[in-house]
Amino acid sequence: MSKSPAERVGAFVDDLLRGRRPRRFAAKEDELEAMRVAAGLAAGRVGADLPSKEALDRIHQELARQMDDSPILEPRFSRRAWLRTVSAAAAAVVAGVVIDQVVGGSEVPLGATAGGPVLMPDKGQWRPVAALSDLPEGHARAVSTGSVEAVIVNDSGNIHAVSGICTHLGCRLVPDDALPKLNCPCHQTAFAWSGKVLYYRLKQEPADLPRIQSRLRDGQIELYVV
Amino acid sequence: MTDVPSSSEATPPGREEVARGAHEAAEVYADWESVYRDNVVGIYQLAMRRVGSSADAEDLAQEVLIRTLKTLRLPAPVHNVRAYLVKTARTVLADHWRRHYGDQAAITEVALVPAEALSATPNGVAADRAQRLLGLLPDRFHRILELRFLRGYSIREAAREMGLTEVNARVLQFRALRKAAEFETEVLE
Repeated sequence: MSKSPAERVGAFVDDLLRGRRPRRFAAKEDELEAMRVAAGLAAGRVGADLPSKEALDRIHQELARQMDDSPILEPRFSRRAWLRTVSAAAAAVVAGVVIDQVVGGSEVPLGATAGGPVLMPDKGQWRPVAALSDLPEGHARAVSTGSVEAVIVNDSGNIHAVSGICTHLGCRLVPDDALPKLNCPCHQTAFAWSGKVLYYRLKQEPADLPRIQSRLRDGQIELYVV
Repeated sequence: MTDVPSSSEATPPGREEVARGAHEAAEVYADWESVYRDNVVGIYQLAMRRVGSSADAEDLAQEVLIRTLKTLRLPAPVHNVRAYLVKTARTVLADHWRRHYGDQAAITEVALVPAEALSATPNGVAADRAQRLLGLLPDRFHRILELRFLRGYSIREAAREMGLTEVNARVLQFRALRKAAEFETEVLE
């Protein structure tokens, strides 16, 4: 019955890591300190600090139910609104997937609706940047090889990569999995996962993102970079 | 350096549309939908970093939004709404820790949540923070937390990997988390 702090905190950690709601208990100060850190680390697992689409839908539905003075037209309005916003991305992402499946040889066909040009570095080599298990489906993640900033994407099991730098003035892009898109934090510009420009508030349309060749080897996502 | 996209292919929203959307985002929230759309991910992330459980984070994000929206009159300036969301989030998170774990100090802990905390962050940021935190720890502490949190080992698997009994692995995990707590404020920006 009387468990040690290590056991009580251990049970809390087990719950977090198995995706269960942790049980309540009266924790002592040293346990609370450890638990706060554990919560931050659990959120630090790749993809763990992003809500699923289902979670967002549930929140939206509950809000709609409670905001009774604001009648809703239909429950999935927000998703519809998002889809409208990113409708441009949908076609581009599909094109990107087709192209990425071909990647592996030295020549990569450029489709009309693909993103920007393909990075072909002199003296390039395949370098692992992440384990496939660290990039769940429906997520994008910024990675760096030291010389190249990239965003790797797992789009329904198809892995591909684009440059992680905005083509306008070089700000680092921020993946937004909920929509999905890559946001430039500097000037309200966004790119589809394929690298294609989605929208911008600039005088001139920025270039699409260069694409980076990618492949899977031994469970590792590798990019052809320097 | 670029292929100029042809104008007939899938295009971005019209410029006026983007400008209008951005204007609204920069000035006022007209309805609860726009408050939700702009902030839900940031609130969820804030909650997730503080509770570590997706089910709890979802409930807490929902509670923060509902409490805020039931109190505020819209339209309201964006910065007012966000300031109120953060304030509400602090209260809701502190309540959670107090009710679930008897944490009486939670209100002061959570008061450290910065006002800009609602900006949605890239999904690598929490992971980078975790890596930096682990990097500050002595070897065996680093190892047990890396195996558990970043590589998904069960306590039994982690114990076997490190040549420990399960009981000792749990003790090591607890001590490692406590040690990490000493460094946490340095890593949390």
